[in-house]
Amino acid sequence: MTATSPSGSDAAGARAPAVSLDVPLRPRRWFQSQNWQRLGFGYLLLAPAVLYVLLLVGAPFLFSLYLALSDANVGNPVASFAGLENFRAALESDVFYIALRNSVLFTVVAAILKGVLGTSLAFLLLQPFWGKKIVRGLVVIPFTLPIAISVLSWKWMYDSQFSVINWFLSRIGLIGSYGSADWPIWLGQPYLALAACIIVNVWRTYPFSAIVLLAGFTSVPSEVLDAARVDGTTFMQRFRHVVVPMIAPILLIGFLFDTVFTLSDLSIVYLLTQGGPANATKILPVLAYQVGIQAGALGRGAAISLFLFPLLLPLMILVLRNLKRREY
Amino acid sequence: MKDVGLLPSALTTLSRRGFAKVTSTGLVGSSLLTMLDARRAPAQIKGTTLRILQWSHFVPAYDVWYDKFAKEWGDKNGVKVRVDHIPHLEIPARMAAEFAAGSGHDIIYNGSSILTRLYYKNLVDLSDVADAAGKKYGGWIPAARSLVEVEGRWYGLPIFYILAPMLYRKDLFDQHNLQAPDTWELARTAGRTLKPKGHPTGIALSQCADANLFWRSIFFSHGGTEAETSGANPTLDSKELREFLRFAKAMFDEGMTPEVFSWDDASDNRFLASGIACWIHDAISAYRTTEDTNPTVFKNVILALEPQGIPGKRVSVAAPNVWMVWKFSKNQQAAKEFLAHLIDNDLEGMVQSRGYNMPYLNDRYKKPMPVIGTDPKLQILQDFPKIVAFYGYPGPSTTPIQEIVNTFVFPDMVTRVCRGQNMEEAIKWGVGEYKRIYAKHKGA
Repeated sequence: MTATSPSGSDAAGARAPAVSLDVPLRPRRWFQSQNWQRLGFGYLLLAPAVLYVLLLVGAPFLFSLYLALSDANVGNPVASFAGLENFRAALESDVFYIALRNSVLFTVVAAILKGVLGTSLAFLLLQPFWGKKIVRGLVVIPFTLPIAISVLSWKWMYDSQFSVINWFLSRIGLIGSYGSADWPIWLGQPYLALAACIIVNVWRTYPFSAIVLLAGFTSVPSEVLDAARVDGTTFMQRFRHVVVPMIAPILLIGFLFDTVFTLSDLSIVYLLTQGGPANATKILPVLAYQVGIQAGALGRGAAISLFLFPLLLPLMILVLRNLKRREY
Repeated sequence: MKDVGLLPSALTTLSRRGFAKVTSTGLVGSSLLTMLDARRAPAQIKGTTLRILQWSHFVPAYDVWYDKFAKEWGDKNGVKVRVDHIPHLEIPARMAAEFAAGSGHDIIYNGSSILTRLYYKNLVDLSDVADAAGKKYGGWIPAARSLVEVEGRWYGLPIFYILAPMLYRKDLFDQHNLQAPDTWELARTAGRTLKPKGHPTGIALSQCADANLFWRSIFFSHGGTEAETSGANPTLDSKELREFLRFAKAMFDEGMTPEVFSWDDASDNRFLASGIACWIHDAISAYRTTEDTNPTVFKNVILALEPQGIPGKRVSVAAPNVWMVWKFSKNQQAAKEFLAHLIDNDLEGMVQSRGYNMPYLNDRYKKPMPVIGTDPKLQILQDFPKIVAFYGYPGPSTTPIQEIVNTFVFPDMVTRVCRGQNMEEAIKWGVGEYKRIYAKHKGA
């Protein structure tokens, strides 16, 4: 603490020692330290985001956990503890295993296709050409269209009798006419039906992948690429050893988002096939919805949907750890 | 000598408060019954708001009529009525959300998937409205009760159901000397004969409502049953099931194409309207669609009664439609009044839906019925109430049955057989799913 002279004049003040030794210094409390104040301000800024995550992610997750461990149904608000019974019930049903297999297949195949198509589209959109801005706007249309409308349009294109895809394939001679053995029944043949659902998912979301990649590509300094070119690298070498490592954080976050959205996507399969024929396209979200909401067994529905969590958790940990390593 | 009073013994020992409670309850009850009978809404509902959740009808004109009808009733009784229409497949989710929130609409509609038993503890007892309507219109058809009755009380009000007759091409049948499909065997013969001529038949074998309904009709008509009369246990595993599955496989192989594995509820309408189908089994929407889109085919389409499976056995599984009132509704009286008014006008609803909506009350079947009674091709529909059944036949629509319906176990079992899986394996799977689901609900 500083002490001033009794006269209070500036000159006297200037002569007086800067610190009076006989007056003890009051120590600053821990929360008054500059370090803690900086930290506190940081946490204050983070608080809305944390609150958002806790309320909109944490609370529903805990609630679904509570439902999964209870015998809750949609018409009975008073549920009692059921232990792991709902998980056991899911594991007893072979439809669950079909849905699990389809969910993994759906997500993996869609991710590969979106990766390939998204990268190609992003490179195309990087090239200079007339009307590039318009094309960039147009490619995101599938992503922005209401899902119900776009899926119903696809349903028409997959119609067993009036499919425009089949009509086109027939006209160019790749398949026979309606009624012939090689006329594809898109939503009626098990593997074709699952492929049809994947195609719609890829069509709808690969522009998102392309936009994410495009943002990454444009952030790579041209000097770095030029230097690599001078070193005599090929396109693939530049892509693999220069571009990908530089945009890896964007790629990984995009991949994580896309995986979560694809694995938990209910709309496409529900609107196209409701999981049919004979569960050939059944995925975990559709099964959870049918059991939990439509049939009213909330506990069992929640348990089925929670099986998505252990599927996603290792992936999330791997990606986030990889991202953290790259920070240092 | 024992004293025999005019009042029941419980009443002779009543306190003043108890007496007031009993008499006021009696007075409210009797006045409501009187008002329901006289169709005069009480003054208390004036100035209130009634919110109705309604499906989007397959016949858009019906929705226009319904909205106007509700508004007119509201204007007459001083009630502000708001009707919201959503696709019927979204109703279970909406119902769950409204129940969880404890607020929403006053009247809620259920179509096909009837959730009365799941929610009955939270629904208003509508027995008084149902009793009054039953007395007034000659009673309810037998199948109505199974939809809404829980522990002797009616927690929903069946207003109409949608039936599915046979629709066949008389020109094609005549050309090939085929008999009208009065039995499933004759229908199979027609498919076998006409498929090679480019006119196959089809019933959806996918995960849609048609598949759930129509394959059950064939099964029940072959003498099969899904559950006990009480609804307590499944009765699927039977020799009738094996006979039915053998028949289904033969009918599929001989008369259908794999297209049926991809069908939705409207695919068979298009199949008939395109001129390809020799017969389909569907609601009269198929007939109406054809009338609008292919007059030549329409001219040759004949409607027939549900075919017999075993001699004399016809069971037609129909899509039920039921209205319920939430217990949390603050306007229960207006809701009851409106539903009673809706029942009084169910025949007008039948007209506005172009004959699609079939009433549940016996007196409504006095011939000729509106729309279907005046069209010679549709007159056969007037004979359906005797053979109508719903999911869970001959038992009620229980919660395990609702889960079985919503997860498409029955049509999936038929699909497995038609796709070539060993019949006993498919039965083992199907019966296993029935038992598993019943066990879960018993344990809950």
